[in-house]
Parts: sequence; structure tokens; C-alpha cells
Amino acid sequence: MTEFDWGGPTVRRMLVGAQLRRLRTDLGLSRAEAAEAIRASEWKIHRLENGQVGFKRRDLVDLLTFYGVTDPDQVEELLAMAAEANSPGWWQPYGDLLPAWFRAYVDLEAAAGLIRTYEGQLIPGLLQTDDYMRALVHGAHLDDSGEEVGRRVRLRMARQMLLTREQPPRLWAVVDEAALRRPVGGPEVMRGQLERLLEASKLPNVTLQILPFAAGAHPAMGSSFSILRFPDQELPDVVYLEHLTNAVYTDKRPEVERYLDVMELLCAESEPPAKTEEFVNRVLSEL
Amino acid sequence: MADDWTARINTGVPNPARIYDYFLGGKDNFPADRDVADQVLDIAPVARDVVEDNRAFLRRVVDHLTREAGVRQFIDLGSGLPTQGNVHEIAQAIAPEARVVYVDNDAMVVTHSRALLAGDNTVAIEADLRKPDSILGHPEVRELIDFDQPIALLLMAILHFVPDQEDPLGVVARFRDHLPAGSYLAISHGTRDIPARPDMSPEAMTEMGARVEKLYQLTTATLTTRSRAQVERFFDGFELLEPGVVEIQRWRPDDRDPRLPGGFFGGVGRKP
Repeated sequence: MTEFDWGGPTVRRMLVGAQLRRLRTDLGLSRAEAAEAIRASEWKIHRLENGQVGFKRRDLVDLLTFYGVTDPDQVEELLAMAAEANSPGWWQPYGDLLPAWFRAYVDLEAAAGLIRTYEGQLIPGLLQTDDYMRALVHGAHLDDSGEEVGRRVRLRMARQMLLTREQPPRLWAVVDEAALRRPVGGPEVMRGQLERLLEASKLPNVTLQILPFAAGAHPAMGSSFSILRFPDQELPDVVYLEHLTNAVYTDKRPEVERYLDVMELLCAESEPPAKTEEFVNRVLSEL
Repeated sequence: MADDWTARINTGVPNPARIYDYFLGGKDNFPADRDVADQVLDIAPVARDVVEDNRAFLRRVVDHLTREAGVRQFIDLGSGLPTQGNVHEIAQAIAPEARVVYVDNDAMVVTHSRALLAGDNTVAIEADLRKPDSILGHPEVRELIDFDQPIALLLMAILHFVPDQEDPLGVVARFRDHLPAGSYLAISHGTRDIPARPDMSPEAMTEMGARVEKLYQLTTATLTTRSRAQVERFFDGFELLEPGVVEIQRWRPDDRDPRLPGGFFGGVGRKP
């Protein structure tokens, strides 16, 4: 029997924990029921799902069996992920085009209580329309079949449902004026997208600020990023950077704080949320 | 504005709002803030309890003013970084129509307040309480607040950041003169004067207060602790509600986590 046991919480552990939580809640099981299945306390399940403790291989295997995960590939994938969480490293790149990893990010995002995001070029994924998203995928010249595009769009749409679920997280987004002005997919697609932004900004849990061109050069030029904060105070904030073909995460406090610092500056220099509607309407009228 | 991005928010300089956030277990603080905060905790381990007690005091005050006194308008001066149990959440849970203005002079606080607190009947403005007219005449305040109806003015853990030479008594008086009859003033304020308690002598508490004051000189605001009599003077022109100006833990306590009194004085007064 191999045991994994290590220090502070890491993103990977949180990812494994988030998947375990999803498997359990999908089955409608309580923590107590899961705890009983592996002869542990409810508290331990809580800590496992929050990525606050290391995973023992035997506990994982037992939990997965209890959750009806029998596909050997899927079991191995999760065990490998848990094992990988043992490896150190400040930056932890993931191939996010792999559905499992993407799913893991969705789980992590869904577990967040506050999502702060800055986007320099694009409308943030959580606020994109179906057509805008399709235009982006085409524009990226990704060698995807129609089916693949459809799958991506469905994934993205599923991800967006978290904004309107019960007890949704708060999204606090800063979007550069450039993202509003670039007519991705043409004026009609863009019109629909901007209208969607207006609609979303009226949700009580969505705050949208526009960083105008007038702000000049700024500390985040060339890099878009998101910061996830979790309701459980013990979990660290996680910074997420999405690239064309992969994504990187970090939960190292010094790194996270550099992003938090930049995010504070961007938010302070952006138009206040109350001005967003007027701003977007102006861009719409100039489309 | 575009050339100096750190002019309004500088996370490298310790900041009282972020230190307070750290005491409350928040994550909107930076190494410079935590460095001072940890030094404060070394000197005064009770600081964490005191800021929690201050949140509880705020909750009891707003609850009382909304439920018992029927106040529907609040101006929270020096509101700080949003946390749990913000004024509008407490008031609107009792009276959904309650209106709240959050005022702070810290750009990061105002940015967070606008993003996380503003909504129906709630606004956040960037202004300095030492310039009352800039707040009393602010268009967003004028739009939301009816100066013919009772208003509750909240000055929670903020007047101790106004030193004597900046005339805090004059500032409070200026606000008082603009409040209609039936309005309320609520204050909590850091102090060195503490009743005898089993775990600390009055001398030790005074010494502790002096050292904490000194540490705050490293931050963007200096700290001036005041005596009960000095805090009472802020209520000139108000009738103090029972039990007067007392340690915040003793102001109409409910059953939740009773703690040893100390750290802050607090009280609520009504303008006749």
C-alpha cells in the first residue's frame, strides 16, 4: 500500500478534492455516508474535498469504488493526479484541452465563492455568447471538426450555468475596451455579445468594469488572468492563466499577491461598475 | 493617471483597512500590512478579538437602529473593506427598503465596496470624513439620502484615525448640524482605558495601547486612542442611549460569545 502525505494544500490536491466532491454530490450522497464507506470521519471527507490533506491511495480507491467509478482508466487518472499532487513546483501547467483537466478546472471554478478576472483581448469565457465563442474557435484556426467545436461550445455553456445556479459565486470582471471594440465574428455577433454583457452585468452576483483606452499603458498589458477565492478561508487563492493550448495555475501566496496587486490597480483605474451600462451602450451605438 | 499606477493604491505601504481585514481573517492584505499586523498581535494578542467584537457591536447597533428605532437611512463613514455582516445586509434583512451610503477615503476600499456592496439602495463613495461638506453635498449621497428623515451616522473604529489637530470634534459637530431631529450617531473608538480584567492589569493595557499606537505610525494613518470622557464628548448635542459610552462588549450584549471587555469604547446617541 502506497501512502501520499505532504505539507500545505496545493492546486492539484484541490482539483482532486473538487472532483471527489462532484462525484459524491452527483450521487446525492452526504459527507457522512462517504465517511462511513471508508471508515473515516465526516471531517476527513470535508478536508479531503478541500484538498487540505494528502490522499491515501487506499482511501481514494475505496471512495471511487463507493462512488461507482469502475472504469480502470478513470480510476488510474485520478490516482495519478493525486500522486502528481506530490510533486513540487511553483507553476503547474495543465493541458486544458484534455477534457478531464478542463472538467477539473470547471470543478475548481464552481467551488469558488469569488472569481476575479481581467481580460485584455477577449470577452471573459463566463460571459461569452455561443456565436462569439464559435467565431473565436474558428479564428484560432484550431484543427477541430464540427463535432469538436460543438463539444467545446457545450462545455463552455455548461460552465456558464454556475452564474445563475442557486448560491452562485460572484464574478468580478475587468474587461479592456479593446475586447469590446474588436468585432469578433462581425458586427452582428458582436452586437449579440455586447447585449449579453449588459444583461449579465445586471445579475446581482456579477460586477463588470471596463478598462478604457484612456487609462493608457497598464500593469497587465499582454496578460489576462483570473483569481479564484474559495468560501472556506483555509483554502488559498488560486491564480489561473489561460493560454491558447494550455493553462497554468498557482496558489503560491507571493505569486498570487503579485496578481492581486495588479488586479487592485486595474479595478481602481477602470470605470466604476455603475458606468458600465453607459460605456457598453456607447460601443454598441458605434458598432 | 495613466503614468502612476500606484499613486492611489500602494500595497507596499501598510494600510489600516487591510490590517483590519487581516485581523478578521480576510485575504485582501499584503506582506507590508501583515508585517505591521503581526507586530500588533505580538504586543496585543487581543487585537483579533477586539476587531471581531467591533463587528459584533456594529451588528447590534444596526439591528437596534433598524428594528427598534425605525431608522431607514445609514451613512457608514470609514466603512473599510467589505466583509461579512455589512451594514446594508444587516439593515435590509430587517427593512428591505433601508438605504446605505458607504464612505471611505481609501481607493481600494471604495473599489471593493462599489464592486461587492453597491446595489439597490446602496452606494459607495470616495470621500474623506474630515471634509464633511464633501460628503453632505455629494450628489450620490443627496440622491439616496433624504435629509428630512432620520439618518444614522456610523463612525466605527475610524475616529481614532483622526488626530486632535485635525479637529475630530468639529468634524462630528458639522455632521450633527446637518442631521434632522431623530437622527442617530454611533461610534466605536480605540482606547487604552480598560477596566480591571483577570488576564491583564490596567497598567499593562495602557502600555500595550501606547505600543500599538506607535506601530500605526508606520501606516498610512496614525492612531489616537482616547479616554471614555473624550469619546463621550463626540456625543455633544445627542442624548446617549442606555448604557451610554461603554466598552463595546458591554453595549446591549446578546448571548453570542460574550468576551472580556476592552479595546474599544462605543455608544449610540439620538439627536433630539
